[in-house]
Amino acid sequence: MIVDPLTPVLSETWDAERSWTLETYTDAGGYRGLEKALTMAPDDVIAAVKDSGLRGRGGAGFPTGMKWGFIPQDDEGAGAKPHYLVVNADESEPGTCKDIPLMMAAPHTLVEGVIISSYAIRASTAFIYVRGEVLHVLRRLQRAVQEAYLAGHLGADIHGSGYSLDVIVHAGAGAYICGEETALLDSLEGRRGQPRLRPPFPAVAGLYASPTVINNVESIASVPMILERGPDWFSAMGTEKSKGFTLYSLSGHVERPGQYEAPLGITLRQLLDLAGGVRAGHRLKFWTPGGSSTPILTDEHLDVPLDYEGISAAGSMLGTKALQIFDETTSVVRTTLRWVEFYKHESCGKCTPCREGSWWMVQVLRRLEAGQGTAEDIDLLLDMSANMAGRSFCALADGTSACVDSAIEYFRDEFVAGMTTPAWELFPYAASALHAPADTVGASR
Amino acid sequence: MTVTSAGGAGTEVEKRDDLVTLTIDDVEISVPKETLVIRAAELIGVQIPRFCDHPLLDPVGACRQCLVEVPDAGNGRPMPKPQASCTLTVAPGMVVRTQASSPVADKAQQGIMEFLLVNHPLDCPVCDKGGECPLQNQAMSNGRGESRFLETKRTFAKPINISAQVLLDRERCVLCARCTRFSDQIAGDPFIAMIDRGALQQVGVYEHQPFESYFSGNTIQICPVGALTSAGYRFRARPFDLVSTPSVAEHDACGAAIRVDHRRGRVMRRLSADDPEVNEEWISDKDRFAFTYARQDDRITHPLVRDPGTGELQPTSWPAAFAAAATALTRAAGQDGGGVGVLTGGRLTREDSYAYSKFARVVLGTNNIDFRARRHSAEEAQFLASHVAGSGLGVTYADLERARTVVLAGLDPEEEAATIFLRLRKAVRKNGQRVFAVASHTSRGLAKLSATVLPTAPGGEAAALSALGDDGEVALDSGGILMVGERLATTPGAYTAALALAARTGARLAWVPRRAGDRGAVDAGCLPGLLPAGRTVSDASARADLAAAWGVPALPSTPGLDTDAMLGAAAAGQLGALVVAGVDPVDLPDPAGARAALAKVPFLVSMEIRASEVTERADVVLPVAPAVEKSGTFVDWEGRPRVFEQVLSGGHALPDVRVLAGIAEAMTHLSRGLGFRTVEQARAEFAEVWFWDGARAHAPAVDAVEGPIPGTGEFVLDTWKLLIDDGRMLDGEPYLLGTARPATVRLSAATLHRLGVVEGDQVTLRTQVGSVTLPAETADIPDSVAWAPEHSAGVRLRSSLGAGAGDLVTVSAAGGASAPGSAGRQGGQA
Amino acid sequence: MPSLKEQLWDPVAGFGVTFRTMFRRVVTEEYPYDKKPTAPRFHGRHQLNRWPDGLEKCVGCELCAWACPADAIYVEGADNTSAERYSPGERYGRVYQINYLRCILCGLCIEACPTRALTMTNEYELADDNRADLIYEKNDLLAPLLPGMEQPPHPMRLGDDEKDYYRGTTPTAGAGEGATS
Repeated sequence: MIVDPLTPVLSETWDAERSWTLETYTDAGGYRGLEKALTMAPDDVIAAVKDSGLRGRGGAGFPTGMKWGFIPQDDEGAGAKPHYLVVNADESEPGTCKDIPLMMAAPHTLVEGVIISSYAIRASTAFIYVRGEVLHVLRRLQRAVQEAYLAGHLGADIHGSGYSLDVIVHAGAGAYICGEETALLDSLEGRRGQPRLRPPFPAVAGLYASPTVINNVESIASVPMILERGPDWFSAMGTEKSKGFTLYSLSGHVERPGQYEAPLGITLRQLLDLAGGVRAGHRLKFWTPGGSSTPILTDEHLDVPLDYEGISAAGSMLGTKALQIFDETTSVVRTTLRWVEFYKHESCGKCTPCREGSWWMVQVLRRLEAGQGTAEDIDLLLDMSANMAGRSFCALADGTSACVDSAIEYFRDEFVAGMTTPAWELFPYAASALHAPADTVGASR
Repeated sequence: MTVTSAGGAGTEVEKRDDLVTLTIDDVEISVPKETLVIRAAELIGVQIPRFCDHPLLDPVGACRQCLVEVPDAGNGRPMPKPQASCTLTVAPGMVVRTQASSPVADKAQQGIMEFLLVNHPLDCPVCDKGGECPLQNQAMSNGRGESRFLETKRTFAKPINISAQVLLDRERCVLCARCTRFSDQIAGDPFIAMIDRGALQQVGVYEHQPFESYFSGNTIQICPVGALTSAGYRFRARPFDLVSTPSVAEHDACGAAIRVDHRRGRVMRRLSADDPEVNEEWISDKDRFAFTYARQDDRITHPLVRDPGTGELQPTSWPAAFAAAATALTRAAGQDGGGVGVLTGGRLTREDSYAYSKFARVVLGTNNIDFRARRHSAEEAQFLASHVAGSGLGVTYADLERARTVVLAGLDPEEEAATIFLRLRKAVRKNGQRVFAVASHTSRGLAKLSATVLPTAPGGEAAALSALGDDGEVALDSGGILMVGERLATTPGAYTAALALAARTGARLAWVPRRAGDRGAVDAGCLPGLLPAGRTVSDASARADLAAAWGVPALPSTPGLDTDAMLGAAAAGQLGALVVAGVDPVDLPDPAGARAALAKVPFLVSMEIRASEVTERADVVLPVAPAVEKSGTFVDWEGRPRVFEQVLSGGHALPDVRVLAGIAEAMTHLSRGLGFRTVEQARAEFAEVWFWDGARAHAPAVDAVEGPIPGTGEFVLDTWKLLIDDGRMLDGEPYLLGTARPATVRLSAATLHRLGVVEGDQVTLRTQVGSVTLPAETADIPDSVAWAPEHSAGVRLRSSLGAGAGDLVTVSAAGGASAPGSAGRQGGQA
Repeated sequence: MPSLKEQLWDPVAGFGVTFRTMFRRVVTEEYPYDKKPTAPRFHGRHQLNRWPDGLEKCVGCELCAWACPADAIYVEGADNTSAERYSPGERYGRVYQINYLRCILCGLCIEACPTRALTMTNEYELADDNRADLIYEKNDLLAPLLPGMEQPPHPMRLGDDEKDYYRGTTPTAGAGEGATS
């Protein structure tokens, strides 16, 4: 028996008429969390978020409340400088598509979260760094911030609490690396987006060398409900170490792709059931648990709980919970090549392994895709990958080697085939297209 | 970073209690905390390969070549992946394994090296770096023997000029960002930056702004591959061709240590040497590239004596030339000869200066000697005699770096003392030092020091300095340093005011001359009232002491004439002869008067390297050796003797010491000549007379006088020489001259508005003597002041205007204003 | 008193060797009238080779000079310009001298040469009556122009850049190597 496991909280109002307006949001109970937060001491807000067990939804899963607690609040040294909240809305990872729908459908969830979070860390300026390409999201967010100002949720002396906050919506200029938090800070300061050396950590010297909290959109958007309904309500959901609910984004060869909001710990089998299963007439071949940077998993892992610990035990990472589903018509070699091409294009160039490794890997993978690989190529790829992983300045190279390593681990024979047969012969590309006519589907093995 | 008393360079070894003990490759070592692992490893003799790391630049961790294994981070737990040792600071109990003891680290390094070579063109045979290339060397020591990369490399057009001097080959670049970090952090000229991304990342310049920096050559030297090369050294030689000789830069009074690389008797290039006490690892482009002046076609190759019949200079032998000079000088120095004057200029070593000083007193029997080929004053001479001469090492670079506050007066460090500029910038950046400048406007160098300018029109320096101590903002105290430049000599009372300020606040005072030989000349007594080591002419006991040391009965007791007075006397026909060493009339306060004096004086001896305005008029020309062809000592502004050895041998020229000894020996009335013949002998004798504990000169006490008040349409002229100007020691290096800053007239925005011109339009400076037309530039300069470079391409301010700093000029818009933005090197003169 | 043998036989016995030798193969070499070919890989005078279009292969890298144990080679590089090109690529050897008073013909230089610009011919007549003439200049060492070659300086005829020359991506590249005098 399957009880509907979905817990629509963030996505509660997404299907409402003009869901993005302040009116819709307020009618659904919005900004009550803010009211409550403003009556609390900032440290109590931090404590509530700590108690809830909320972990960062941007990929690393670092406890949000703990991150806030790192901000020095004394009156000397770094604590005396202004504090900043920066929301990382630079969602650009292949497969990841949760923040952009959230900001499209319910931007006020984020705005309210920003206000509460800024209040907690005692920031008087907050930035939302939005991926530059999504202009429509940017406009909707800017409008939401404007509405919040007009409604008195933002600006000087919010609702007579004596607390003032300005929110600035900033558009990136199209670099994946700016999703890395220190590169994001550099970009926000007007420099080239390249990761910074740590230490100093952003909590001490982040934006403009001041204490800065950087959180993912979903993490911040989860805060209002925690305040409104209490940390216990939140921590009652999910698993022991991965508490609460989250957005699972299903995409690819699945009947009903989209956002599925459910408690952490749900399995892919359950989610696929909710989403109508894999594309009709096909079966699951492999999938990513959290975007292209997380090692791929296969149909053996259908029952792995989708929480931080469960996925980690299966040898991957929960990441952004971007579940890309690939059925048996898909060439792993080709998929890997496309991902690595992405990383090559997006490498910032600062450090050697990522810059040169991805450049080289693409050339080897192209050869394998064309069926012109050599006997050494698989070992070469694995060695390159070993020379990249953990050797680079930020995690971008780790993502590159993760997808290559896991692809070879589970589907080595396809790479071996790449020494003789082009991938397009083994896996006619038309067959894996979602609009593929039924007669091409049988061509795959 | 905070200012700490510990850890500064130049102090005696201190007992430190902040040591951290860690183990590297099974060797236990204690190092100061915050030390980077890569440096700690050097201390046990393990060289971890690296590209981006440079000890004088901030860590960046970009190249990842220096990966090491850390089995214990100091907390008992291993670090999961190899760590970049250039960004990893030591921790107590840390265990580090480098490539010397860890296969993991070795493999990691080989992997990175392989990646670095993926997009490297491997065109070592045509690369200037080949043979001394860290990439080559480390690929051999820490790379795989064979490449597995068979695919396509990234290509770029190569090479491209990023300035007149610096060439960039983007294919060879390993993107370590040393050059961009140097330009940003050390020089403060961030005109190169990384652009684009991924493997296509490259060093780029602004489209319309080349890499204009006085320190750009350092980027070539620290480039770990052949990506940056200099146009001057392009394809000239290979490391194994070169003989390297350590030396000292002769272009300013900073004493920067350099390395001169020469091949078959020709200097091929000069590099910065590493001297932490002085210039660290940096030199200015002038010190680096300006060496071709010594091999120009106008080098004097033989002694020349003017033929009385034809009036032409005729080559002759050294003995004949010595004899000619000796005869005439003996006559001039005799009873009715009128006396002799000696002008020595700023290029001399201390040994040379000492020889001139002794030659004047012992051989010529006169105190008419002055090294100052520029504006000077009796107050300055008094200041130098009382506070500089014979004082030894005073304020040092290390002191400068530690100082909380530095006040500059009459000195623009970037243009006039580049090494000081770099050290000040380091202190400003690292220690939060505050720099104040008594200057007319914020020059580019002062802006890069974040200096607070105390706006002062030339002539007003004395009043500005007097007002300083009372000003709460500057807060000069015993932790401060007051640096005064030679330009203060133009303002009566300025040195007096500087001394008073230093006495009142406890700040230390340092005098910074512009030329390399100036401080040595002061120590050697090349001033009319000064004898070697701070002895004064007016002090009978000093004279007696020195006469005894020199083995002569007595020394002349009459105070001598200074440069102006000598030239005046010569022009008036009152001087029998002049002995002129490296002096160019164009530098003198009154070039026209000087030329007249040189023409008028009955007998003129010129010691010169190359044909000059002086040799044209001379009766005897004696070719002397440039710094590269002799040994010697330059005393830098600190008072630090900078001894250097001869680089090139086999030239036809002799050191000034030897030339003077030759003349002295040709004088029949002298029994023992000058007492020495070689530089080494002169150095030894100078060391003997260096000790003097008798009375010193009194400090000057000159009242400040109010500067000239500009009338309607009049401006007070302010001027100094730019680092890369039109000096003769920059000849023969077109690439370097191409990086010179354009000559402009700096005026206030209000003045430009009043004149009805915009930036870039031509304006004319005019005096009774003549005029100079240059493009206008806006500056934060007082409305009554106009600044122009003294001696840049096409500009000879002193000759054209007969005016210098503090004099009045008129400024007007030149007819036919040029288009905005065309402010180029289009200076002209009427 | 000498024996009969000593008186009669011994004086002519020596001619036996002469007679015997008259019918053997002659070992005398008639040099310089008759020049003998050397072994094919004999280390003789050096030669600076050309590309088939006449451009010089030497890039002035000085590796030969570096390798030389006798310090017999002197090279100065210089910049090719689009107006004046002597070799493909950026650099050419402006000065190239081999001092045959020093050269020991060991061949390390030709092993060091990265472009196969420097090879050795079988020419061994390296003698002269003065020192100066035994310092061979570049024009003494350069291979003669074969048909189809053009005296540098001239633009690259066999490709757009030096890589075309080195990779042989043009049909005729490489054919000029080993052209002997």
